[in-house]
Amino acid sequence: MCLNFAFMLVQLAYGILTGSLGLLSDSIHMFFDCLALVVGLCAAVMSKWPPNARFPYGYGKVDTLSGFANGIFLMIISLEIIYEAVERLSTGSQMHRISELLAVSIAGLAVNLVGIFSFEHGHAHHGHDHGHDHSHGNENMHGIFLHILADTLGSVAVVISTVLVHYSGWSGYDPLASCFIAILIFASAVPLVSSTAQTLLLTLPADTEYNVRETLAGVSTLRGVVGYTVPKFWLDDTATVSSDHSHDHGHGSCDHSHSHSQTHDHGHLHHHDHSHGGHDHDHDHAHEHEHRSQKVLGVIHVIASRGADLEDVRQRTVTFLQEKNMDIVVQVERDGDGRCWCGGGNKGI
Amino acid sequence: MPIPLPPRTPTPPSAVDDAPNQHAFQALDRDALSPLVDTFPKSASLETATKDHVSPTIPSFNPTPENGASDSDPAGPFNFSTTVMAKGPVPKSQQNIGQRRGHKYKHSSISHQIFMEPPPRAPLALPNSLPIPTFKEYRISMSKEQKTRFWWSVCHMFVAAYTLWTAHGSLAMTALSHLILFDSLGALLCVVVDVLSNFEVWKRSSVRHPFGLERAEVLAGFAMCVLLLFMGLDLISHNLQHLLEKAGHEPHHSHEHDRVSLGSVDVTAVLAISSTLVSAMGLKNHARIGKAMRFAYIESLPSVLSNPSHFLTLSCSALLLLLPLVSIRIYDWLDKLLSGTIAISMCVLGTRLVKTLGSMLLMSYSGQGVADVIKDIEAEPSVFGIDDVRFWQVHYGLCMANLKLRVAGSDENLARLREKISSLIRNRLGGGYGSGGQKWEVSLQFTVERT
Repeated sequence: MCLNFAFMLVQLAYGILTGSLGLLSDSIHMFFDCLALVVGLCAAVMSKWPPNARFPYGYGKVDTLSGFANGIFLMIISLEIIYEAVERLSTGSQMHRISELLAVSIAGLAVNLVGIFSFEHGHAHHGHDHGHDHSHGNENMHGIFLHILADTLGSVAVVISTVLVHYSGWSGYDPLASCFIAILIFASAVPLVSSTAQTLLLTLPADTEYNVRETLAGVSTLRGVVGYTVPKFWLDDTATVSSDHSHDHGHGSCDHSHSHSQTHDHGHLHHHDHSHGGHDHDHDHAHEHEHRSQKVLGVIHVIASRGADLEDVRQRTVTFLQEKNMDIVVQVERDGDGRCWCGGGNKGI
Repeated sequence: MPIPLPPRTPTPPSAVDDAPNQHAFQALDRDALSPLVDTFPKSASLETATKDHVSPTIPSFNPTPENGASDSDPAGPFNFSTTVMAKGPVPKSQQNIGQRRGHKYKHSSISHQIFMEPPPRAPLALPNSLPIPTFKEYRISMSKEQKTRFWWSVCHMFVAAYTLWTAHGSLAMTALSHLILFDSLGALLCVVVDVLSNFEVWKRSSVRHPFGLERAEVLAGFAMCVLLLFMGLDLISHNLQHLLEKAGHEPHHSHEHDRVSLGSVDVTAVLAISSTLVSAMGLKNHARIGKAMRFAYIESLPSVLSNPSHFLTLSCSALLLLLPLVSIRIYDWLDKLLSGTIAISMCVLGTRLVKTLGSMLLMSYSGQGVADVIKDIEAEPSVFGIDDVRFWQVHYGLCMANLKLRVAGSDENLARLREKISSLIRNRLGGGYGSGGQKWEVSLQFTVERT
């Protein structure tokens, strides 16, 4: 990232000095990249912060949020690229100073390649060091990775199209190439956006939903429980997952993310992680393990039968839920006592 | 005691009840199912009634087995008479206990109370998952008004495109067109949300979507703010580019269209103003944004202008109206200044919105007063301690407060305490009734400490 930033500064300075338009726009683009990277890294750091009164559920979602923003950003950029390409195709503007452009784009490509490798290396290392808190970091990392990947692809496209233009003389290759790249970027950003959106909407994944349903059925069989209302559950995102599976080696993140989205980009990431991570053969268990150990938070209003001891009902419900790894706020109400907003008492009959 | 009970509706004893937590009751009730009304001794019934009268909170199952055991033999011709009395469809199968004495004590509230105890199965049904509407269903469900709104927002977008098209290199016009695009997207989002709320999955919570899909609106708003931010940055970069370009040695195409014709600017500006006004009045497209964040210094302005986004658009287009009146030199200068201002204010607005909506998406509550409320709760005499406090905002209209308290006291006191705390939270943070504040869902977990 620092490299990127430095490169951008150099480019900017050079661009201002020579007054070349291509260099300028490229440096501005580089600036956007740096911004996205900074945001992503900040999010990665922030997600480790402990919860406080203002953010009672911690900063675990920052990662997802930044992944989402990154995905949206990529989509917008690709739309803009297409728009500009169409504009350029229709007006048929000429390219000047091809050699200069070529040099710059090759340099950019090199920077981006270095960025990708360092990122992946860093990611793998990161995974080695504290793999257990990676349950959701993958989305953020995925976003950053996509961003760098898109840049690299863009540089490649620029190089190829510049060469083509240089030899064939028709300047239409450049917009076409950028269109193509933009569509690729867009397509790769879609799964990222949808998966992060699911998380941000607090949607439960299918298997958790199944477990929760099972548990709810169990709650209703407890003695003294007449019913329940407003069961609302969501997944815990705080990075402080229990420490008993710190040997996940970062594969947990990959495995985990498979359940979210099966993009081929993800496969890519996965593959690379493997090559860096080394020993990774029997980690299917880790995957399951992590899934189960992701806490479910939530609220439920339990309606106790008229004779039951409220405290007793509460205690048994809480322990029952805790066995299922659910940390739920249980409000116990008396049957027929319909004063709560959940309408529990009234719905009784 | 509230009696939400419909008239006892006896059912044939053959009705099957397989709800799991009912085993205990069922075991007791099995023998009670036999019709025994005729042999029921008056004294016994009176006795149970009075017993229940004395302590209404104590479950009155105890009498049932005795009664059932004592009169298990007689055959029941009475079933017929009672079924005649049953009005309407029989809702629950459990009520067949009541049948034992249903025809005799139908009008006695006490006997109603007695036989309410077997809990109904209805709430135990799992909240079913609701289908997410497909696009076709979505289109069909649009009402006429919603369709009009939809087409209006499309029109609005066309206005944005038109502005961009007629901009001809005028930076301020380009900036304005970006702003209008943002507005029109906001309007479109409004319409989409409006139509989506036709569906049940939007509001109702299910296991899969614990808060319905209403949070999607926040998410879309967030995406739009990212767009706004991006557009602002983009404009700034374009500005810089132009500036450097002119400062550099490429002046050849900077003056090819230095001035937009007077008529088109006016037309565009008027169009922009009118469409913004229509959207603002008819659709209230940024009302939620305005609610989510407030700039103190704009708020004193009249209604439409009090929204930062509308304020920006309107003031810009009004300034644009004046633009063609000035000389070329000033025009050039003013154009850049205006577009720079727009871009910077877009960035500022975008950043603030991203922060606000982002914190909402991060499950936090950004309002003030939480600390005071917590202090007040702690000051309650029967509250020993607070284990866990979580105030957070789900979406624009809903907040949740989840607290775990350690308390002491009798059941009635606790119920009262619960009510007191929830009304405290609601009044303090929700801004009272009718003021358009958020709804608060308060959940309190009481851990009773015996002292």
